[in-house]
Amino acid sequence: MSIALDQVTKRYQGVPVVNDVSLNVRPGEFLVLLGPSGSGKSTLLRAIAGLTEIDHGRISLHGKDVTHLTARQRQVGFVFQHYALFRHMSIGDNIEFALRVRKVRAAERRARRKELLELVALQGMDDRLPAQLSGGQQQRVAVARALAHRPEVLLMDEPFGALDAKIREELRRTIREIQRELKITTILVTHDQEEAFALADRIGVMHQGRLLECGRPDDLYTRPATRFVSTFLGACNLLLGYRTSRGVRFDARGTDRPHEVVAVLRPEEVELAAEEAQVRANFVGHGVVEEALFGGAVERLRVRMASDGPVPVAPGGNNPRLGSLLEVSRTLPEQRQFPVTPGLRVAVGARRIHVLPTPISSFTAVGANDAVAGQLVDSPLLSTLGARMQTRIGRQVGNGHRAPPGMPVLATGPGSAEIARWQLRNGATQLLCLPPTAPLPHHVVIHTLDAASRRATLAVAASLLRHVAAEAVYLVIHPTVSLEAERAAHMRELLDARSSALNEHGLDMRTEMRPGNVTEELQRELATSENSMLVLGTSDPDAIRWDWLASVLEGDPARPVLIVNSARLELPVEA
Amino acid sequence: MAGAAPRYEKPRNVPAAVRAGRAGLISVTIAFLALLLLAPLGAVLAQAFAEGLRVYLETFENPDTQAAIKLTLLTAAIAVPLNTLFGIAAAWAIAKFEFRGKSLLITLIDLPFAISPVIAGLVFVMLFGSHGWWGQWLQDHDIQVIFAVPGIVLATAFVTFPYVARELIPLMQQQGSEEEEAAITLGAGPWMTFLRVTLPKIRWGLLYGVILCNARAMGEFGAVSVVSGHIRGLTTTMPLQVEILYNEYLFVAAFAVASVLALLAIVTLVIKTFVEWRADRRTG
Amino acid sequence: MASSWFRQPSILPGFGLTLGFTTFFLSALVLLPLAALVFKTTSMTWSDFLATVLDERAVASYRLSFGAALVAACINALFGFIVAWSLVRYQFPGRRFVDALIDLPFALPTAVSGIALATVFSPTGWLGVRLQEWFGVQVAYTWLGVVVALTLIGLPFVVRSVQPALIEVQRDLEEAAETLGAGPFYVFRRIVLPAVLPALVTGFTMAFARGVGEYGSVVFISGNLPLKTEITPLLIVIKLEQFDYNGAAALGFSMLLVSFVLLFTINLAQAWSRRRHVGAGN
Repeated sequence: MSIALDQVTKRYQGVPVVNDVSLNVRPGEFLVLLGPSGSGKSTLLRAIAGLTEIDHGRISLHGKDVTHLTARQRQVGFVFQHYALFRHMSIGDNIEFALRVRKVRAAERRARRKELLELVALQGMDDRLPAQLSGGQQQRVAVARALAHRPEVLLMDEPFGALDAKIREELRRTIREIQRELKITTILVTHDQEEAFALADRIGVMHQGRLLECGRPDDLYTRPATRFVSTFLGACNLLLGYRTSRGVRFDARGTDRPHEVVAVLRPEEVELAAEEAQVRANFVGHGVVEEALFGGAVERLRVRMASDGPVPVAPGGNNPRLGSLLEVSRTLPEQRQFPVTPGLRVAVGARRIHVLPTPISSFTAVGANDAVAGQLVDSPLLSTLGARMQTRIGRQVGNGHRAPPGMPVLATGPGSAEIARWQLRNGATQLLCLPPTAPLPHHVVIHTLDAASRRATLAVAASLLRHVAAEAVYLVIHPTVSLEAERAAHMRELLDARSSALNEHGLDMRTEMRPGNVTEELQRELATSENSMLVLGTSDPDAIRWDWLASVLEGDPARPVLIVNSARLELPVEA
Repeated sequence: MAGAAPRYEKPRNVPAAVRAGRAGLISVTIAFLALLLLAPLGAVLAQAFAEGLRVYLETFENPDTQAAIKLTLLTAAIAVPLNTLFGIAAAWAIAKFEFRGKSLLITLIDLPFAISPVIAGLVFVMLFGSHGWWGQWLQDHDIQVIFAVPGIVLATAFVTFPYVARELIPLMQQQGSEEEEAAITLGAGPWMTFLRVTLPKIRWGLLYGVILCNARAMGEFGAVSVVSGHIRGLTTTMPLQVEILYNEYLFVAAFAVASVLALLAIVTLVIKTFVEWRADRRTG
Repeated sequence: MASSWFRQPSILPGFGLTLGFTTFFLSALVLLPLAALVFKTTSMTWSDFLATVLDERAVASYRLSFGAALVAACINALFGFIVAWSLVRYQFPGRRFVDALIDLPFALPTAVSGIALATVFSPTGWLGVRLQEWFGVQVAYTWLGVVVALTLIGLPFVVRSVQPALIEVQRDLEEAAETLGAGPFYVFRRIVLPAVLPALVTGFTMAFARGVGEYGSVVFISGNLPLKTEITPLLIVIKLEQFDYNGAAALGFSMLLVSFVLLFTINLAQAWSRRRHVGAGN
């Protein structure tokens, strides 16, 4: 591996800005770190270069651990967003700087300078000052300067950020060619998905300090694993669907125990036709064209689905009585085949949908009355999860005759343990209990009561942690007096948990094995932070020590608890 | 519609008023500055040359005046490099790092600006004077600080303490650390980074800070007056010599020495203007 | 080198060296002598201290020092603002020269400006004669002379504070107000003045603080009559010359306290200005 990151964590004032990131980059690979501003991608890049120290984890370059080496010793090439050219030095001196530092002889320096200026197509500019060059030319000098000492790794921090669109595209091509030619391992940071697609062999998507997914651009686009990646990489409709024996359906009628899933429908995968019979793809429902914008090569439409049609995941702005709004884009041939105007009623089909392998589909706030349900909906944790997962938060007053689909959410307090137990016995596969005023958790403690529930619990925990910037710790607790063989089994469990969390869910977490009593150890771990949260997995709700759980839920301070009932949870399989 | 009303009103009324206001304000500015700044400056030169160039030059043959000039140069030669070194160190620590108590440190560096020069002298009397903290010890060891050259140097250094730092801190903060980081990723060591990357970036600001510090050091009056004891030919600096000559009604001699100091001030301003002009040209 | 409560980590070298030198030099040259003054003062009894500080001659000197500094700072706030405005907003021949001239009081030794002002404003001087003839006013050797000297000393503080703030006031804000129908005085009062006010307060306070402590330029023009034209710093010098160290220390300590209060005010004004700036910006 050319660059290997292992559980890299960086905190600012206690808050992780890079959170447990592990990543391997192959020699000669061009990896793009993509993410919105503040996602930690630049910090991670600076950490690799040694410009920022990390709090936890390891960084290796070419198999050599460089975690404790200074930036000077790491010998990487770094291209800064604002070029950082030495403004008082000529272009030639800028490029020769790294060689002069290394006391390379003048003749050799001159030859290398000439070679590099040719590489970035700036021959003859040696004596100019940076201020006399255009932005694009300055950035090329910055690239040439970073390559002068023949680093084996090139790191670029939003190198095109300050340039206008046309120059950016041209420079992109230049960078790609240089990278191919030199076969230099490269990491580039950007927030522009188009740039990522144009450059990357692989894209790593970062969000809130975590590396959510890493993969080939086309894989990430067509088969994202998370809501964030599916919406960040291009436009997308997220719909709540139901897995049935006949595939994914968008209305729950006719199925007895609908299993809720989140489906990605890209705008270009939507087919429009005049009538249901003419839809060649999977029929989704009827809708009315609300807006049609001509956009050159593609036409962008918004179609308002009938109110009994598919349920959108995103709650914001979509009035449930009006039905969901679907983004559609069509190519010119499609437009010619079936021209539409606003107001037209159309039949909608989905050529291809992708079901997200996320176990959390939607939330339902369950309260004894409307006020309690409302408090839950407005609680920091639930409202944040709703907004970040772009999912629906329903409300329900009273228990009903069966648990609602998705994840029921209860308020902690007297009697809450009893209601939680009822929900789990009556169909809830996962359940969140939280104090309505509790802030976002900083510390999430994960524990499973039996090995069978581990996979499902980790899946739910990973889904949660993708949207909350918290540190996770997985606890394995074994009795103080135990046999050697038992301890070995526990150790195996721990390693399995870590590798499955990492491989299947991209969740990098701390793991710990402790001797002692389960409830005491959990209580102790929860007490290490004021804002801690418990994720508890089991395959049998009756195996939970409910008296103890009641003390967590009804005690002071009450802490958020997420319970996963793996017996009933079917994990969506990746398509 | 909304723009119609002002469009018709403006040409008739406002520009005339604005033009008059403009001329008025510029006149006030020039008159005020002429009275307050130019008139005294002119007075210095007029008085110095009141009896011709020869008399002017002769005043510098006075051994006391020559001693005062030497002492002034000596004082500046010690205080200015010290404060320059301090200013660079302080600006580096403050502009390049984030640490607790930084704003307190900046306030403390500014302290000598806010303190009366007389108090700047007084504190050294309280420390080293015969009734001061360490006075007895110094007397026992026969070390003279107050009413001697060391006191003058210390008081001058105190008063001119913040100048270089104040000039460099905002400059270095505004320039950021990206170029230094680039140098380090390219393999440069600490000294190389400072000498080849940082110093060229700050040289003009540094030059002005040093020049201003020097002007204040050579011209300091209040603080030095308190600690000097006014011993002619031994502990008088140029400003003190000006006072002595003035109080003895030797006006030509007093203003002749003053004119040298005024020239120093003018040179300082010229350099400052040049530095600013360079800075403008770079950003513009 | 890991992050600590004290500093955020950085890869740049030299933190320990530069901060160490800075704090050492600061302590040795500034803080230690100041401590000596405080120490000397605290060795006095409370009643001795009060007797010295509230002595008739001392109180008269406060009145002059603070009063004249206040008047001078007000004059500077008004004229300094006009000067800054002209320099920022208007192009006129000699603007660069005028701009450079503003810093003259910074660079000119105070003793030089003192004897120069005394000469110009003395009853036989260029301006002194005219003021006497036309208005019957004597400037030199009266409290007016002190005001003139302090005005000269304080001018750059106001101008150099207000200038950048005036440049910051975006022209397009004013133009926007004009297109919305606001007249020039309204624009000035509602758009320009509020934006510049923190800087003006800072400049005013700095000019005032400097004026209270000024010595060199005042002693030549003030006449130095006890109870009438004697400023506090001069009184300290006189006490020292009479070997009244305790008296000098007490007065010095009181002035030091005033300096701290003023410094604190300046910091507050600057924090206020930053907040406004941040609030108005992005």
